[in-house]
Amino acid sequence: MFSKHWMLIAPARCGAEMMELLWLIPAFPLAGFLALAVTGARMPKRLAAIIGTGSVGASAVVALFIGMHFISSPPQGHLSSQTLWTWIEIGEFRPSITFYLDPLSLVMTFVVTFVGFLIHLYSTEFMAEEEGYSRFFAYMNLFVCSMLILVLADNLLLLYLGWEGVGLCSYLLIGFWYKDHANGRAAMKAFIVTRVGDTSMAIGFILLYFNLGTLNIQEIMQRASQAWPVGSTFAVAAAALLLGGALGKSAQLPLQTWLPDAMAGPTPVSALIHAATMVTAGVYLIARTNVLFTLAPVVQEAVAVIGALTLLIAGFSALTQHDIKRVLAYSTISQIGYMFLALGVGAWSAALFHFMTHAFFKALLFLGAGAVILALDYEHNMFRMGGLRKELPLTFWTFLIGSASLSALPLVTAGFYSKDLILWYSLSSEDGSPWFWAAGMAGALLTSIYTFRMVFLIFFGAAKGRVSRKPGMTMKFPLLILAVLSIIGGFVELPRIPIFSEFVKTALPSAKTLHEGLLGEGMQQVIASGVSLIGVSIAYLLFLRAPLNVERFTSHPAGKALHRFWFSGWGFDWLYNKVFVGPFIWIARTNKDDFIDLIYGGMAWYGRFFHVALSLTQSGKVRWYAMGITIGAVITIGITVFL
Amino acid sequence: MTLNDLAPLIPLMVIAVSSVIIMLGIAFYRSRAFSGLLTLAGIAVAFITLFGVQGTRQVTSLLILDDYALFYIGLILAASFVVALLSSDYLEGRRENIEEFYILLLLSTLGSSVLAASTHFVSFFIGLEILSVSLYALIAYTRNELNIEAGVKYLVLAAASSAFLLFGIALLYGETGTMEFSRMSSGISAQGINKGMLLTGFALVLTGVGFKLAVAPFHMWTPDVYEGAPAPVTAFVATVSKGGVFALLLRYFIQVDMHAYPSLFGAVAFIAVASMFAGNLLALLQKNIKRILAYSSIAHLGYLLVAFLAGGVMRVTAVTFYLVAYFITTLGAFGVVTMLSGKERDADAVEDYQGLFRHRPWLALIFSAMLFSLAGIPLTAGFIGKFYIVAAGAGSALWLLVIMLVINSAIGLYYYLRIIVVLYAQPGHSEVSAVSSLPLTGSLVLVLLTVLLLWLGVYPEPLIEMIHRMTMRF
Amino acid sequence: MPTAFLPEEYLPIVIFMVIILAFGLGTLAVGIVLRLRRPYQEKLLPYESGNPPVGEPRYRFSVRFYIVAMLFVIFDVEAVFLYPWAIVFDQIGLYAFVEMMLFIAILVVGYVYAWKKEAFRWD
Repeated sequence: MFSKHWMLIAPARCGAEMMELLWLIPAFPLAGFLALAVTGARMPKRLAAIIGTGSVGASAVVALFIGMHFISSPPQGHLSSQTLWTWIEIGEFRPSITFYLDPLSLVMTFVVTFVGFLIHLYSTEFMAEEEGYSRFFAYMNLFVCSMLILVLADNLLLLYLGWEGVGLCSYLLIGFWYKDHANGRAAMKAFIVTRVGDTSMAIGFILLYFNLGTLNIQEIMQRASQAWPVGSTFAVAAAALLLGGALGKSAQLPLQTWLPDAMAGPTPVSALIHAATMVTAGVYLIARTNVLFTLAPVVQEAVAVIGALTLLIAGFSALTQHDIKRVLAYSTISQIGYMFLALGVGAWSAALFHFMTHAFFKALLFLGAGAVILALDYEHNMFRMGGLRKELPLTFWTFLIGSASLSALPLVTAGFYSKDLILWYSLSSEDGSPWFWAAGMAGALLTSIYTFRMVFLIFFGAAKGRVSRKPGMTMKFPLLILAVLSIIGGFVELPRIPIFSEFVKTALPSAKTLHEGLLGEGMQQVIASGVSLIGVSIAYLLFLRAPLNVERFTSHPAGKALHRFWFSGWGFDWLYNKVFVGPFIWIARTNKDDFIDLIYGGMAWYGRFFHVALSLTQSGKVRWYAMGITIGAVITIGITVFL
Repeated sequence: MTLNDLAPLIPLMVIAVSSVIIMLGIAFYRSRAFSGLLTLAGIAVAFITLFGVQGTRQVTSLLILDDYALFYIGLILAASFVVALLSSDYLEGRRENIEEFYILLLLSTLGSSVLAASTHFVSFFIGLEILSVSLYALIAYTRNELNIEAGVKYLVLAAASSAFLLFGIALLYGETGTMEFSRMSSGISAQGINKGMLLTGFALVLTGVGFKLAVAPFHMWTPDVYEGAPAPVTAFVATVSKGGVFALLLRYFIQVDMHAYPSLFGAVAFIAVASMFAGNLLALLQKNIKRILAYSSIAHLGYLLVAFLAGGVMRVTAVTFYLVAYFITTLGAFGVVTMLSGKERDADAVEDYQGLFRHRPWLALIFSAMLFSLAGIPLTAGFIGKFYIVAAGAGSALWLLVIMLVINSAIGLYYYLRIIVVLYAQPGHSEVSAVSSLPLTGSLVLVLLTVLLLWLGVYPEPLIEMIHRMTMRF
Repeated sequence: MPTAFLPEEYLPIVIFMVIILAFGLGTLAVGIVLRLRRPYQEKLLPYESGNPPVGEPRYRFSVRFYIVAMLFVIFDVEAVFLYPWAIVFDQIGLYAFVEMMLFIAILVVGYVYAWKKEAFRWD
């Protein structure tokens, strides 16, 4: 009653004051984190669940109100910003705590809070048996808070804070079950690999600040387009350095190796951080700084190439995995590859659109997988599953919807519309090429094959495991909502009714299409639909009808080698171990006492030496201390008078 | 001097009167609660009456009550309040007759407040002596061997340093013919001044003040006194007594315009660098927490002097903010030591803190926050303070000093982190950390200090605004 | 600057000081070099008017002496303060009278305190 009333008057009366509530969005999860962190394990599980979920829910509600207001009566210039306070103020260096809302950050905020809320809700049941329940929610809340700071940041410093914050939470949550050392190692790997990218990004930020003299992102974009001509060295360098950061965070070639290992964390974590939100931070970064990438066509081209390569490589790897979560991890890498492809050909809004639908269906798939894993007592191997569609009907249907959306089955799924848009632009955009299109198509085929391989292995065939636990209401509800979103989420951007890209066009320039004649949009849709259906059929034939064919192939030596190659993620881990880790350790070992080290060693030695020498002056004798004062006075007089 | 002139002095008088009432009270009936509560009430009332002082009021030529003085007096009063709270539980059971402690505390607070407001060498010296004489007794208050040794050392050396100070004042008076700070610069510009005498006077005043501030090379008493004094008194020596003196130093050298004397500038720079190095290097392998904190305070005063040397508006802002941060962290750190101290001895060995996180996670976290702030890690007040100092130094192109500061921050990090590592290590065999229960007031104070510390680290704007307003009218 | 600080008129004084120092140290040095050194027990004893020394030289006085001394200083300063006040009393009037009364009142509080704490009792 009350809330309804409030909703009615909210847009009318609150007006601009509505935007004043922006700060609440990250503040709620932060408060939740603090409350959970402070009380720690003493907090009862029920209360921890309520605080953890409620805080994200509250910020989702605020985001909803602000979003409604934003759409119904857009602020001037379709953006609004709220400065809370200036952190420090020293000359030109004036980083403020300012949140910036435009359609791009609004969409991100929506997805983070809503999907985040559903995943939190799901976790209340999923994690119910776990030790460290409130610790889990504390980390999750901190993550949501950092992610919101990241997408709402108005300046580079705040963005960096959010960026590192999500990295930290990712590390903490991958290693959530820290008693198993493998999990700790996976967490470490994720942290170190993304760090390579982060360093590059930080250098990029510094370069931007020193050349353009401001930290404010919008001002940077403005000044950059005035100061730097297209293709100038600085623009290329800055864009390339930022791209490095994006590659690390979004697990793209060549920094993709950490994501499959990150699956060591609890499944809701994989859903929230390693599928729906954090890994797309790279996409957000590039979209946010799209002006820079437009100024550096070389780098933008590289984005597209990397995206195309990544989506193919990850697609092949996904085909061979046994572990259900690793399939989904490779699939995530591959789908983000699509987003990069879209960014690379200048289809900014298509990338954002795919980000949104991907968040829905990939979170759904992870949560479904979590339900399956829990049902079979933490069984991750798909080959030990089967026939679950009778036992877990709701999980099955929602998983099926998610898979359909991932495979982009035509017309009814959200994934179809978003992926189709990317494929269309990869061909027709100014920067597009038939090669990108072909890669995207091949990727689409792979996607539907590995997706339905997963569906068939888990839910069809003979039952192999015993279902020990069925999901309760709090797990079913998020699955249902996400399933609905995975279907209707695509209808906001239909061909010729582009609501979504209209909405975001003030923040993201629309793509420039050139060669309309090569292949009509309708034709390309038909082909894409055909490809995904073919993929499903192949999966049906290979994994349900005649699994023997696959076995025969993989038992053949060449097939076996290929299988192993794909299974290991194209041997990147092996390569990096040989090329980077090994030599690095070798250099570190052999070079232990080098010149640089001598400086530090020398500093330590001198430090200790002077410590000992000075300690002699502390004799504890008053007469010596008085002498010290006198000597000091003589020195002071000496300096003042004779200098 | 008229009755009207007395109005702005009310805060100081409240403190003085409280101490007299307590003394009278003790004469007839000893009550710890009475003395303690009256002390707290007196400080609180004095603090409130600070807001009643309107505008800038010069009271005779001795004292001035401007925004700057009021701010520093407020800071001093707040710190004394914290010390009074911390010491009430600490003193219990350490000796009989603990009521007089409060008289001494109030008197030294009064002395320090007078320093913050003084514009004349006479009030300067009287303030300093009120402060010091009470401190001698406070340091030796619990009367164990260490206490008394520390008290006597402080007595002898402080008296010696006062002699230097007085000689300096005499020389300055002899040359300029005035003891008022504001008239000194016009006295200096007069003809026929012996510049050598004048500079010697400055140098001697610097010696006397340097002793109180415990900057190198007048620092050698610091660790002994810090270690020997009861923990809350150490907190008091490190904050209240230095705060007043520093406020005075800043006012004095701004009014006399120190930058007109390059060689004096050089002397202060030498003291700053010497303090940073001496403090940090001496703390490096030290095993006694109180001594470490003593050395660290030497280094921090060195950092402060760097900002002090910078010119321009930034100087007062940087110094004041840093001093506030330093007050909070120092009180917090010694507060933790106070809370953990057993009746036999203070918890001052590093081993006492081994594995503190296991049985007292809160205290360990608070201590870590304080140490992080001392080390200047972001999100604490200490970081912002250091940032302002570096900015002030860089703004005045004092590159050498800034580089020294940065090097020393790195050295300092080592011993702060060393303590933090110990806090989170496996518990050792120490009887100190097994103190049964922590007093409630002390715990609340520590929590409050920690909140303030983080608050200023994240949202320093209000304080900076306040300082800016204060410097406007300076 | 050194010339400004050390004007030439002071030079004789400096020379004089140097000579004094040299003379003092020089005589001591000559004495050390020339004199015979044949120590025996009696020679090494402190000289107390020809008597053999008794007891420790660092004799501890009763702490009561210090208390009395301190009280004396406090009230003595009061008296010293009263003289100049009395001399100019007719010029400074009521205001100064009140001030002095306050000053004495504070001292009285101290006096009461000392009395109550039995600082005046000898045994």
